Amino acid sequence: MLKMTHLAKVYRTEVVETYALRDFNIDVKEGEFVAVTGPSGSGKTTFLTIAGLLETFTGGQYHLDGVEVSQLDDNARSRIRNEKIGFIFQAFNLIPDLNVFDNVEVPLRYRGMKAAERKQRIMDALERVGLASRAKHYPAELSGGQQQRVAIARALAGSPRLLLADEPTGNLDTQMARGVMELLEEIHREGATIVMVTHDPELAARAQRNVHVIDGQVVDLSEEPRFHAQPNVAHS
Amino acid sequence: MQIQPILSALRRHKAGTILIALQIALTLAIVCNALFIVHERIDRINRTTGMDETNVVAIQNRYVGSPENFVPLMKSDVQTLRSLPGVEDAYVTNAFPLRQGGWSTGAQTDPDSKKEGVHTALYFGDEHTLKTLGVRLIAGRNFSPSEVVTVQPQQSPGAPQVIITKVLADKIFPDGNALGKVIYLAKGKPSTIIGIVEKLTVPWIEWDTMDNVTIMPVLFNSGYQHFLIRTKPGQQDAVFKDAPKALYAANRMRVLPEKYGVRTFEMVRARAYQADRGMAILMSVVCGVLLAITAAGIVGLSSFWVGQRRKQIGVRRALGARRSDILSYFMTENFLIALVGVIVGVILAVGLSQWMFTHFEMKRLSLTYVGIGVVALLALGQAAVFAPALRASRVSPVEATRSV
Repeated sequence: MLKMTHLAKVYRTEVVETYALRDFNIDVKEGEFVAVTGPSGSGKTTFLTIAGLLETFTGGQYHLDGVEVSQLDDNARSRIRNEKIGFIFQAFNLIPDLNVFDNVEVPLRYRGMKAAERKQRIMDALERVGLASRAKHYPAELSGGQQQRVAIARALAGSPRLLLADEPTGNLDTQMARGVMELLEEIHREGATIVMVTHDPELAARAQRNVHVIDGQVVDLSEEPRFHAQPNVAHS
Repeated sequence: MQIQPILSALRRHKAGTILIALQIALTLAIVCNALFIVHERIDRINRTTGMDETNVVAIQNRYVGSPENFVPLMKSDVQTLRSLPGVEDAYVTNAFPLRQGGWSTGAQTDPDSKKEGVHTALYFGDEHTLKTLGVRLIAGRNFSPSEVVTVQPQQSPGAPQVIITKVLADKIFPDGNALGKVIYLAKGKPSTIIGIVEKLTVPWIEWDTMDNVTIMPVLFNSGYQHFLIRTKPGQQDAVFKDAPKALYAANRMRVLPEKYGVRTFEMVRARAYQADRGMAILMSVVCGVLLAITAAGIVGLSSFWVGQRRKQIGVRRALGARRSDILSYFMTENFLIALVGVIVGVILAVGLSQWMFTHFEMKRLSLTYVGIGVVALLALGQAAVFAPALRASRVSPVEATRSV
């Protein structure tokens, strides 16, 4: 599903080269729930932005759903982000000027989907996260947990092949975090491939597999799954 | 395609949206009316006189001293001018087109009529007048030297023969048979129409009947007159310098005013329409400044919004928006604001025009100008927002992962 081989990301200035990722290798299979952990500045967020095609990389190879992405132009990368990837951000990243319904609709509009289908998908996704009754509310009128659920609904509405979560519970209190985590586990059980970046070992422990990143490299790639959830079917 | 969410977002930015829409509305209202005035003034400035205005020099002359009879002096001066090497022809007159001063009277067909008659300007001249002015005789004949009469200041001007313009002829004789008919320009003085010229305008620029002109073969015995000179091609500058010298050499007892004494016809035209030209320039500057301020306002607000929504743009990009989607988002947003602005602006423009029509007797604004204004303001809005929108489209999707 997601395979990076000898991947490197270098930030260059006139006097210094800084490796954010160096000889980075990872292979996430379809239906896996992988937690990427590591201390601050280790490169895990850089990995996530490259995995989500938000940034380009400097060297190596990255295959996403069988497609080598380094040669893709900006429009093709946008299309892949829109159709294959669902993002869940730490800060929720809902658009404050739009209500819940319109927020979930954003990626669907960029797909050029017809209004009736969009509406159906939005309501299904909101039902899925238990917020269908809040469709007309604005983000500011919701709790942090509810906002993250809306963000998850937005990620799910487009039926992505891969869910990328960046510290999805980082801005939530324990109770809300637990609710969001349970939702992610439920989504995974239904067959979604999830890659979650977190620095919280407790949260990481709930993933199927952990990948530890230090100084831009994967240092401990455990092949043994810690969580034996069996994906039902491949998510399409 | 993104209209509904854009409208939703705009509802939450009411202040900026209303201010820009209002600015566009006011700009449209003022610019439409100002451009209409500019166009009207330019139309006035470009009105033709019926003359061939190239190679014409006008000299304003005042004899000093108190001679008994000015006529011999005038005749002698005209001969002096005609004998100059660069001169094609010349004559002496009381007035000419665009002079902004002259004589007028009412033309009657019935000598006993108490009605006012058809208003006409009066130009005095002789058999050299038509050639000097360069007007086209379309019916009848020119004056002959023997037909030129002398009129004293205390007399009402009149001559047995006159040449009139086509427009005047058609007004006095709507059936079209003016040639050979008799009209009365002064009580008891019949004048036969011996010729009709295609077009010649009155001395003033504000008249309702610009083309009502009568030419009389008259030498008016006055110390104040104008010499009109047609120069040979390419000789205008030389005659402009030589003619006053020749007149002074012939007789120093005269004043040719320093400022407007000797003028080419281009100078006469420029002077006549100075106020119109000034108004057209002023209105154009006002339009330019207003449009620039509006464009700057749009650029400013759009840039501010782009800066404010950087993170949001990054999120949209992360969710699959292409650069062109972001560009079109901001362009569409501006278009919607401008559309509201121009709708209000159209109402204001028509209202302002109606107000000026009522209070200043100005013409009503042509809807063509409203249409042009609407298109111009929408285009201006799109042009002004393009650079900020382009900047927005270049925001990287990675912006979505950065903390604010």
